[in-house]
Amino acid sequence: MRAFVTGATGFLGRRLVGALLARGDEVRCLARPSSDLNPLLELRPLPGRMCVVRGDLHCPDEFARQINGCDVIYHAAAEMRGATPVLFRSNVVATEEFIHAVAGRGVRRLVAISSLAVYLGAGDGREVLDEQSPLDPSPHLNYSYAYSKIVQERVTRQAAADAGIELVVVRPGVIYGPGRDCLSTRVGIRLGRWVVMMGGEQTLPYTFVDNCAEAIALAGSVGGIGGEVFNVVDDDPPTARQLLGKYRGRVEKLPTVRVPRSAIMPLSRLCLWYHQHSRGQLPAALTPYKSRVMWTPTRFSNAKAKQRLGWQPRVAFADGLARTFAAAAPGSN
Amino acid sequence: MNPPPLRISLIGCGQIADAHLQEIRKIQSAQLLVVCDHHRPLAEQAAARFSAPNVCMELSELLEQHRPDVLHITTPPQTHRSIALAAIQHGVHVYIEKPFSLDAAEAREIVAAGKAAGVQVCVGHDQIFDPIWLALKHDHQCERLGRIVHIESIQGYDLQGQFGKLALNQRDHWVHRLPGGLIQNTLSHGLYKITDFLTDAEPPITAQWRDADEVGFPTELRASFWGKEISANLIFTSQAKPAQRVVRVFGTKQIVEIDFDGQTIRRARRLSLPGAFARLESPARQWMEASRAFWRNAWRFARSDIQYFAGMRELFTRFYASIRGGPAPIRPEEIVRVTALMDRIFACCKSIPSESSPVFAETRPSHVEAAS
Repeated sequence: MRAFVTGATGFLGRRLVGALLARGDEVRCLARPSSDLNPLLELRPLPGRMCVVRGDLHCPDEFARQINGCDVIYHAAAEMRGATPVLFRSNVVATEEFIHAVAGRGVRRLVAISSLAVYLGAGDGREVLDEQSPLDPSPHLNYSYAYSKIVQERVTRQAAADAGIELVVVRPGVIYGPGRDCLSTRVGIRLGRWVVMMGGEQTLPYTFVDNCAEAIALAGSVGGIGGEVFNVVDDDPPTARQLLGKYRGRVEKLPTVRVPRSAIMPLSRLCLWYHQHSRGQLPAALTPYKSRVMWTPTRFSNAKAKQRLGWQPRVAFADGLARTFAAAAPGSN
Repeated sequence: MNPPPLRISLIGCGQIADAHLQEIRKIQSAQLLVVCDHHRPLAEQAAARFSAPNVCMELSELLEQHRPDVLHITTPPQTHRSIALAAIQHGVHVYIEKPFSLDAAEAREIVAAGKAAGVQVCVGHDQIFDPIWLALKHDHQCERLGRIVHIESIQGYDLQGQFGKLALNQRDHWVHRLPGGLIQNTLSHGLYKITDFLTDAEPPITAQWRDADEVGFPTELRASFWGKEISANLIFTSQAKPAQRVVRVFGTKQIVEIDFDGQTIRRARRLSLPGAFARLESPARQWMEASRAFWRNAWRFARSDIQYFAGMRELFTRFYASIRGGPAPIRPEEIVRVTALMDRIFACCKSIPSESSPVFAETRPSHVEAAS
């Protein structure tokens, strides 16, 4: 199988390329002109199995002919931080233009990488969200990244249908692994060296980067799943409190403050009130809407990915965290 | 009875549009009517976040169906001229984000069209309406500075910021197609603080730029201006950290330093104590000044008066008032003058090969006419 991977030098993309090469695929990797190629070269591909296409997703016409002959596109490129218009320009508009540019080039399937952030939890803390759960109906009130991913899914679905390309959507949880800070916003807020842990009993919808890459690779090769959506999250996730405790014990004893779960919503309402009252002197970093989405204890089902893709998260949390902590520990490269 | 609020429209829902929409919402004499972008998702996100009742993708639809009073143009500068002329033709007042146009020829055309149609034209030179700059102007009007003899304007730029990263990663980004590249997109902020005092039409200019970061386009620029009464230096730097927006105004009574990010004014006056005592007087004055600045900013914070885009809101308010018959906050001739100075700076920079020794080139008005 011949694959085309966008975002190939990124944190997830390079592992995805590794997983595809490992199973014998031929891979064409899209990398920005300014991207460092060393992460790809470290994969030591067999001759002829991997090539790099220099290009920018914002100018798909410049590299689109390199997609000729590819069976599957894995669209892993994404902007994760920035103002809403920046995220929309990169994640929504660029994706739409990219799909239009690859129409008619013989691509059979597009695997689009979305996010578990697209769901709207009911907020009661008891539910398990699966692929049938409703998406956030008011995404403009959510975090900018989640907003862009919700609209990206909608736009991708339409563009893929217009282009006659089969679409499979993968919604990973928070992807962690060596080289990325595992204390995400799901745990709390970072203020310099301080960590403000929000609640603490919420389980973290995390997936180890190698596990996630394998699920995405399967989403490109398993037959009969056109149009399907798959949640990708590892088994037996730790709570925020457990993860932070291990981090402080193994990596760095970060100063920590805990906001009890019962105080999160009042604090969020206060922040929103002050933002409005002060006419935006401070940003609405916390709002009841965002806090409910981010810190309400919620579980995500990975049953469909296991059943339909035959995926198993091979790296258990203990092992994944050990590798992540080892890379993050002082003195490590 | 108050007149009905002006119906405001905006075209180009990128990053700076967020600031415009956020500040427009705070002005009572304005009502956001429609946002427009060639990419529908961008227009829709702006409408959803800032409660715009209408969305469109075409300028013609915006002008003919929604018929706004005012159009904010926040598209790439390459499109400013055509959009502004179309809006003016429909009798719509235009506020154009900086840089106003690609060059002075375009600026003259837009300004002339505005005059002919009897509509107001404004440019986003918002930092000279920032509270800290207005405080400096007040000091100057009260003659506390004496006669101004020199100005230094420092415009820092963070290449690792959101826009800088875009420019670094996207080699076909519109910013690289500006005559002055990335620098042209930001330089006017540093320049119009100088021209607020240096009023010569065509002062001699020396300027040079460099690709100091080895990123493939100029990222450092130095320019000097010699007016009849005031000289000035303009520094655009992406290397100096932290990226600062600082202006020093050298008067015959005081030297004043304005820090836009810290919202502080630091004054240097002649010391009154003799000899070694002056070494104590100077830091004591600085300490007292810092103390006053702290309490002033604390008071402003308590009154919710520390807003990053306060100057933009003040400029919008004055621009909207000018539509009702008030004075123009920035005269059209001033828009053209600043744009022409930018042209001359870039002509000067381009006249020296970047590999050459750092001897500054000089342009005089006659030279610039030929270059433009």
